[in-house]
Amino acid sequence: MDFSDDDAGLMLRYRDGDAAAFSALYAEYKGPLYRYLLRHVRNAGAAADLFQEVWSRLVATRARYEPRAKFATFLFHIAHNCAVDFFRRDMNLRGETSAHEFDSPLLEPEVPEYQRPDRVAEFVEQQSALLAAVAALPHVQREAFLLREETGLSVEEIARVTDVPVETAKSRLRYAVRKLKKSLSPMQEPGVLPLRTYA
Amino acid sequence: MPDELDEYLRGESALSRQYRREYSPVPPHALDRLLLNAARFGPGKSKSPLRSQSLAPLAFAASVLLSVALVLAMVFAPQAVKKADDKPRVLKVSVYQSDPPRAVPASPRERNPAAWLEDISALRRAGRDSEADIEMRRFRSAYPDYLIPISE
Repeated sequence: MDFSDDDAGLMLRYRDGDAAAFSALYAEYKGPLYRYLLRHVRNAGAAADLFQEVWSRLVATRARYEPRAKFATFLFHIAHNCAVDFFRRDMNLRGETSAHEFDSPLLEPEVPEYQRPDRVAEFVEQQSALLAAVAALPHVQREAFLLREETGLSVEEIARVTDVPVETAKSRLRYAVRKLKKSLSPMQEPGVLPLRTYA
Repeated sequence: MPDELDEYLRGESALSRQYRREYSPVPPHALDRLLLNAARFGPGKSKSPLRSQSLAPLAFAASVLLSVALVLAMVFAPQAVKKADDKPRVLKVSVYQSDPPRAVPASPRERNPAAWLEDISALRRAGRDSEADIEMRRFRSAYPDYLIPISE
């Protein structure tokens, strides 16, 4: 997805009191942000909480907003910080260091009933090998891949969002791409139905 | 041989195409409404809807306080009213006959003798001699040694 720099202008308008500008930003970013959080933290409840937290922080700090970078970079940097806090809390609660990196099921995060396009069975049907492989990635690689796919940010911008050197971001993305490509069937070509996993 | 990352970053990789075909969940509409309202009315007013679960302990504490206040009101308020009701009410009723009240006290000791004599003189000037005589006898019994002026 490509986000234009006009979004920074919308944010400036919202900063100056134009609520309609926020509505436009929200409509544009709610899907990518929600999917980034959902597939990153792999828990629908936590994703919904973080989603609220990200927008709340944006609303609360809007008066100090200055367009130093693309708006998407600004928004997803907030999201990244919220996710980091989440993983830190999660680690403290579990008393483990990084168990979620290795023990998680290779499935799309649990999605509540109201989000499902129809029933559970249909939702499960949409679990693809690719999403399972994304969920199985180490979270820093998963985050880099999700940022790229959901926002179209460049490697440099991903590095800025995740507070790491560009080379680190590039390395993470390269590893993620390499692993995910292996999850695609060699028979799968564009236009062919995606692979399905069944619970 | 092109780098697989460069190929991927060009945006035409099978991986990206496959990802875009995946199911794309969106946030629930209820969340949309909450956030849009919060943005419209500002962060101060948005805290409640956004972080409603964090207000649960506060709401619980408020409920407990309200309950305690109600119990206290039920226990103590009726007694206070009853005490007020039980207090005997004294009604001062003055009954007058045709004449105005006389300036004659129940006990002569309560009266100043000079004033008392002045009242008696007034009764005589009004032609109420019998009443003046009665008052004079009371005066004498009250102040047997009082020296009455000659005019009286």
